[in-house]
Amino acid sequence: MLSLILISIAALFFTGIIIRTKSIASGRKGPGILQPVFDVLKLFRKGSVYSETSGFVFRIAPIIYFSSVVLAMLTVPFGASKGFISFNGDFIFFAYVLALGKFFSIIGALDTGSSFEGMGASREALYSMFAEPAFFILMGSLALITGHTSFQEIFSTLHLGSSITYAIAILASFVLLLIAMIENSRMPIDDPKTHLELTMIHEVMILDNSGFDLGLILSTGYIKFAMYGALIFNLFVGLIPYGYAILIFFALQAFLAILIGIIESFIARSRMNHNAQFIVVLSSVSLLIFFGVLLVLGKFI
Amino acid sequence: MANLLNLTWVIVFTGLLILFFVPSKLKWFTAMLTVVLTAFITSTLAFRAIMGNPFSVVFDGGVVAGNVLIRIDQLSAWFILIINFTSITGLFYGEGYLKAYTSEPRKLSLHWIFYVIFQLSMIWVCMIQNGLVFLIAWEIMSISSMMLVVFEGHKPSTIKAGLNYLVQMHISVVLLTIGFIWLYFKTGSFSFDAFSQYFAAFNNVGLFMIFFVGFGLKAGFIPLHTWLPHAHPAAPSHISGVMSGVIVKLGIYGILRVAFNLKSEFFVLGEILVVVSVLTSLFGIINAAVHRDIKKMLAYCTIENIGIIGIGIGIGLIGVGANNPILYFLGFGGALLHVLNHSLFKSLLFFSAGSIYQQTHTRNMDKLGGLMKSMPRTALLFLMGSVAIGGLPPFNGFISEFLIYSGLIEGLKLQSSVQILIMLLSLAGLSIVGGLSILTFTKTFGTVFLGTERQKSVHKPHEVSILMLIPQYFIVAAMLTIAFFPGFYIDFIGRILTSLSFRPLISGVQPFGNYPDILGNISFYSFVLIILIVVFALIRKLVTARVTRTISPTWGCGYTVPSSSLQYTGKSFSKSLSKMFNFVVIERKQYDELNRTEIFPEVREYKSHYFDFFEYRFIKFMVNRLIYSANYFNFVQNGRVQSYILYGLVFMLIVFLLTIFRIVR
Repeated sequence: MLSLILISIAALFFTGIIIRTKSIASGRKGPGILQPVFDVLKLFRKGSVYSETSGFVFRIAPIIYFSSVVLAMLTVPFGASKGFISFNGDFIFFAYVLALGKFFSIIGALDTGSSFEGMGASREALYSMFAEPAFFILMGSLALITGHTSFQEIFSTLHLGSSITYAIAILASFVLLLIAMIENSRMPIDDPKTHLELTMIHEVMILDNSGFDLGLILSTGYIKFAMYGALIFNLFVGLIPYGYAILIFFALQAFLAILIGIIESFIARSRMNHNAQFIVVLSSVSLLIFFGVLLVLGKFI
Repeated sequence: MANLLNLTWVIVFTGLLILFFVPSKLKWFTAMLTVVLTAFITSTLAFRAIMGNPFSVVFDGGVVAGNVLIRIDQLSAWFILIINFTSITGLFYGEGYLKAYTSEPRKLSLHWIFYVIFQLSMIWVCMIQNGLVFLIAWEIMSISSMMLVVFEGHKPSTIKAGLNYLVQMHISVVLLTIGFIWLYFKTGSFSFDAFSQYFAAFNNVGLFMIFFVGFGLKAGFIPLHTWLPHAHPAAPSHISGVMSGVIVKLGIYGILRVAFNLKSEFFVLGEILVVVSVLTSLFGIINAAVHRDIKKMLAYCTIENIGIIGIGIGIGLIGVGANNPILYFLGFGGALLHVLNHSLFKSLLFFSAGSIYQQTHTRNMDKLGGLMKSMPRTALLFLMGSVAIGGLPPFNGFISEFLIYSGLIEGLKLQSSVQILIMLLSLAGLSIVGGLSILTFTKTFGTVFLGTERQKSVHKPHEVSILMLIPQYFIVAAMLTIAFFPGFYIDFIGRILTSLSFRPLISGVQPFGNYPDILGNISFYSFVLIILIVVFALIRKLVTARVTRTISPTWGCGYTVPSSSLQYTGKSFSKSLSKMFNFVVIERKQYDELNRTEIFPEVREYKSHYFDFFEYRFIKFMVNRLIYSANYFNFVQNGRVQSYILYGLVFMLIVFLLTIFRIVR
């Protein structure tokens, strides 16, 4: 339960910090850190416009998208403290629940009958598909090294001893960070600040969403960031006492947000047809982790 | 009990006789009675078998076959129950689907007669434990299903697909025959009990591989799958549903039946199976993602699911080899549950695709669109099928895929690093398959049901008859029971798996370990998901109760004359994927290049087709070579009776000489 509260709090400021970092990097002062939350709160109270083409699917999609991420968030532990959901193989459940949300957000976009939204939906489906194996290979390697198969057990028994394990943990956080970037349609893959519909992925999918639905979709993005941040935190937490761990948690989340802000400020979005290659590289980094694990276990031939 | 079994024969033959004579309105009713009665009787036997009373009876098969053992053990029972459920739903759906053909009694009686034979032959395939008689039942099943496929026999393409199916099934029969004869020569018996005798004494790999290829042709493992994408689109939808739901699974049944008798070489065979299956899955789903013919897409998706089932079987075999009971249960259990799951959601998808075809007369999804408004119930059913087949919670597909995933993860604890690598890569492969199936089904559902109509049709599509919907509701209900009460099914499968061979491995082991609890957890949290969705929907309703809601055209990004043909099509949706995998999916385009001098371009056509890699690159190639070399022997068949008589004489002379000189005795 602890993780639920902490992730929710982190979600409040995560995106704000990213935006603030980007503003400062580009020489502006930028909005307050809680501005994204205010935006969402304002959207919740606004009226909405629905496309006349759209039907039931378009209306239910944001809700399912949001619920799926909330449920996925419940599986994430906080160090030794279990998430609300914890069982052997819960990371499979985590990935598939997120996939359910994605399924609905894609068909929600297709429901408007807009060519742009179809384009975004197609790209979202393709790129998130490529990110899946990286996550599974990573979690499989961690399961292999710890001998456990649930998030909480994996993370609480993951002891960082030798130098190889540190390398593994750093590579793993790299993979998780990039998965978070892909899942949230951030820079190397997608540019949230782009102005041309043809070059967007996520933003173009939600062109027709407005009011409460848009608020839900935006807050889903905030939660997703904090959720992956929490996963990265779990890689390092080990058995640090809670008091320190909470501090480290927030420090790490802020650090990640600043890092993402800096990455976004100084890197251009890659060309659409290079995205797939980029994401496949991620899987090979995961494979590297796997071989590292084999090395640690002494099973490498 | 034997009387009950004989009763099914009697019922079916009287049913067939009556079917022949009754007017076309009553044909379906007679077939229905026959099928339901047969299903009832055999299901009772099957149910008793699973509960621990296997049923067996021995018929005298004369000199040739010897004693023919008929046995319903737990494995057969599982498949018989699946066959019966799918046949009955297919039958009820078929009545609605074939309403338009009431004026063609001949076609209808042929169709329903073969449907009845088809169901009975499938059940017998599961019961017969004697190689020779098994082949006869297998053959009847293949032929009757082929006759069902060519229902629209006036179309040349249908006949071609039917013949393709028939030829490939006979290659399968040849392999099975070789396998059984091999078995007979080594052990002196056609009975299935001879398998364990053989496997105990000789090398396991050869014979198993022969049966694997033979049954794999039916199941559709690559590169043996090429009949599926032709036969399924050609067949009427209820037949495609039943074929994809159960016929293909009988290939799996055969593989399991042989596999459960293996005595050694588990690692090699398991690894082969896992690797082939992962590749099958990937190949199937990549092709499914690019095809625009709904039923072809579903056929390729069947190949994908066969791959998933195969992964399960492979894990199970590796588990037996490693003496690891949990791997055995997760692998085989996942495979058996996925057999059931796939038979449910695939028949559901084929049925709803059939409803679309019936209303719009096209299978090309790029010509459809916006059907959600005219066929809301079919749309919802298709959506549920899509979510389930993608293996997403809260539906049943996730349960079996979770078992197989868990098997792969448990497999990471094995000793050999090669096996660990195979398990990990399969894990990655399976996750790509999951991601691609989301792409495939969002594409299909999106283009067919969402947006607006892409082509104005003369005949306005509307919701199909209630008779066609009810079987689909039943399937959804069955799917939900698996999703929310997996413990019941797992218990069933646990009984099946403990009753079969490999006794030393599993003696005193709790089937599935603590996985029933985990599956219970999953269903509970799936339920939580539904509650979350309801709660958030209510919150939205409360919060937005007072705000204004406006309905306006879709945002066109400044473009003011939107048209339905501007929508993203299924082709464009999967375009980037097909470009990425252009070494597997072969695309052929036909279009005229725009001429430099052509100032006013004329209307022109653009065609694009996807070809099956294996069919195009290997099978076509081999067949062409074969025809080429066979052409040299054309002179043999010259149409002159005289030469044929001469051939006969020469043959007799040879036989005569050979016997005289005692070369052949």
